[in-house]
Amino acid sequence: MKEGLLVILSLIALTSVCDTINQLFLKTAVDSLSFSPSFNIIKIFKFIFQLIIKPRLWLGFVFSVISLCIWLLVLSKAELNFAFSADSMHYIFIALASRFVLKEKVTSLRWLGTGLIVVGIVLISLS
Amino acid sequence: MFKKKLTFKILLLLIFSDILETSIQFFFKKSALAQNGFVVMDLASAAVFLKAAFASPFLWAGLIAVAAVFIIWSGILSKIDLSVAVPIASFSYILVPLVSIIFLHEKITVLRWTGIFFILAGVVLVSLSSKERIIQEK
Repeated sequence: MKEGLLVILSLIALTSVCDTINQLFLKTAVDSLSFSPSFNIIKIFKFIFQLIIKPRLWLGFVFSVISLCIWLLVLSKAELNFAFSADSMHYIFIALASRFVLKEKVTSLRWLGTGLIVVGIVLISLS
Repeated sequence: MFKKKLTFKILLLLIFSDILETSIQFFFKKSALAQNGFVVMDLASAAVFLKAAFASPFLWAGLIAVAAVFIIWSGILSKIDLSVAVPIASFSYILVPLVSIIFLHEKITVLRWTGIFFILAGVVLVSLSSKERIIQEK
């Protein structure tokens, strides 16, 4: 029983890591573009076209497919409540990745807010 | 390079993409429900399942919503930090219970209200932290 729990937790951690990698690829792909879109159809199309020819975006897409497959595996083994609250750890991974990979300035206020969200998600899935 | 300021417009876009995200789940669930009791055993039955799912208009509505979310989300990421966008997107955890109360007349437990409150407080703090950075940069 305890071993099973550990396996499921590791699988959930793995999906969270894959999701985080996907977001990192998307974010760096978007940041590498020379402009950001405004409310203008032509500009939005130009933005999307420039974005979908980035190989990094497709790498991220591969990771999101992997994440989905592992998630389906997790759901077949664990209760949704538990899986859902454990998955909230990806907010922590995103904050860490933003801080160390993207060099964003994650202030203590932002950490506190992220922590509260994780607590809230765990509470919601408990009820 | 870009101004990484969380404006009211971006906040509205984030909430809009949350609403779309919620509707994707609703559409996909609907298209799967249309084949209630169907058991996918092997590759052949998986193909039958997929064929039936793609015949459902709900699935196509869901896919259109996926494309729309992708466009809006990448637009958002081009304007603000990842460590701000992702926590604020957790707003959908509040949106779904609200929809269940208003449209489905579900009862929400005290524990769940507490959870909603924590998420809301977290989202407010993360949004404020984005403003705080702007003030420091000025």
